[in-house]
Amino acid sequence: MRTSLLRSLLAVAAVWAVSACATKPPASDAAATAEYRDNNDPLEPTNRVVYAFNDGLDTYVLAPVARAYRWALPDVVRQPIHNALLNMTTPVILINDVVQTKPRRAGDTFMRFVINTTAGVGGLFDVAAKVGYPYHDADFGETMALWGVPEGPFLFLPVFGPSNPRDAVGYGVDVAFDPLTYVPSGHGLRTFAAVRTGVAAVDARSQVLDEVDSVKKTALDPYATFRSLYRQNRESTIDKVRTEDRATVPNWYAK
Amino acid sequence: MTSTRRRMLASAVFAVASLSFAALSPAANAQDSGASGFVQGFGNKLVAVVNADSAMPAKEQQLRPLIDQAVDVDAIAKFCLGRFVNTATPAQMSEFTRLFHGVLVNNITSKIGEYRGVTFRMTDTSMRGSEAYVGTVVQRPNNAPTNVRWVVSSATGSPKIVDVVAEGTSLRLTQRSDYASFLSHNSNNLDALLAAMRRQVSTGG
Repeated sequence: MRTSLLRSLLAVAAVWAVSACATKPPASDAAATAEYRDNNDPLEPTNRVVYAFNDGLDTYVLAPVARAYRWALPDVVRQPIHNALLNMTTPVILINDVVQTKPRRAGDTFMRFVINTTAGVGGLFDVAAKVGYPYHDADFGETMALWGVPEGPFLFLPVFGPSNPRDAVGYGVDVAFDPLTYVPSGHGLRTFAAVRTGVAAVDARSQVLDEVDSVKKTALDPYATFRSLYRQNRESTIDKVRTEDRATVPNWYAK
Repeated sequence: MTSTRRRMLASAVFAVASLSFAALSPAANAQDSGASGFVQGFGNKLVAVVNADSAMPAKEQQLRPLIDQAVDVDAIAKFCLGRFVNTATPAQMSEFTRLFHGVLVNNITSKIGEYRGVTFRMTDTSMRGSEAYVGTVVQRPNNAPTNVRWVVSSATGSPKIVDVVAEGTSLRLTQRSDYASFLSHNSNNLDALLAAMRRQVSTGG
């Protein structure tokens, strides 16, 4: 299932390669040119078409499902589901922490997996956060950013939404890092992996229901607003990891 | 140099520095804690209005003076118009600023107005140039905790909020790119923007 997903991503990339480009403002208009450069969106016309498609999909399918999910299940049920989903992503986060050479973050992730899988009953309860190992996310797009790989032009991917070549490739690598990608058939393991993907999508959407509603309601150009929000958020997340430099030796030793 | 040694050196430098700075720069510290106290006070008032049991229109009425008092709306409005500030006529500029007030109040009300039981706690405060970045964590029911930084400037003499940065996304930057994009798709016609804002204010959305 995941491989066919990747294949369709590649097909989309091929379509982009031959598609319309945004008209660059004349060089005489310095302010407009600076704005064009800052937006980093040379494929804007195509991206907007994909945005319209995703928006329809979201309005009529994903958002109603996420709303129903939030309506039908109380917080005390949704929170453990959310926790268990996060726990299943720990292997991918750990690999990224390690290749980002962030030992303290890798340690946090490792301890979270050990504590939450055992004391947290298979990840249902986030015990680790209460004993000093808070959650953080990490993905291969972020890892490549730390390695100095440029983001490339802004992309709006079908189904996945705002991205760029670096983050799109990073997503593919994260899927390859995920042990659940390689589950053998039989014993319902494939079904389990597929259900996890579906529930994760609904859970993720339900986490940002209010935020997305608010943007759609208040923005004059929601596409431009989502683009700006995505790029700012990515930049700040990457910056946070880059500046993280907790010592790997105990405090008493460092002093 | 390993990061451990850098760390040791850094803490030594910090120890010496804090000893001397404690005596030398009470002003910087005062500015720092002044901004954080200001945000704490504003936050408390905001949360009190939001968590109250009153209806949305009543809340909006209470929010408006609160925002006008603590937020430098004119400065944010000017920032959000970006390069179009240079081409706007004085009449367009004053109409834009007036409408921006309404839009901002609407946006804030629509973001937080429907919640009950909003809480926040203060985190760290840092200075960047003349602006103080005051950190808070906002907790809304049914939502993950959000890191919100309040950018406070004292350029007008008293502390005023000039930006709100939620999870790394700046309100004024996002708003500016929204307007810029709208204008570039409406042949840079400022009156089209004003008309759209007028619609937003009148529909409350």
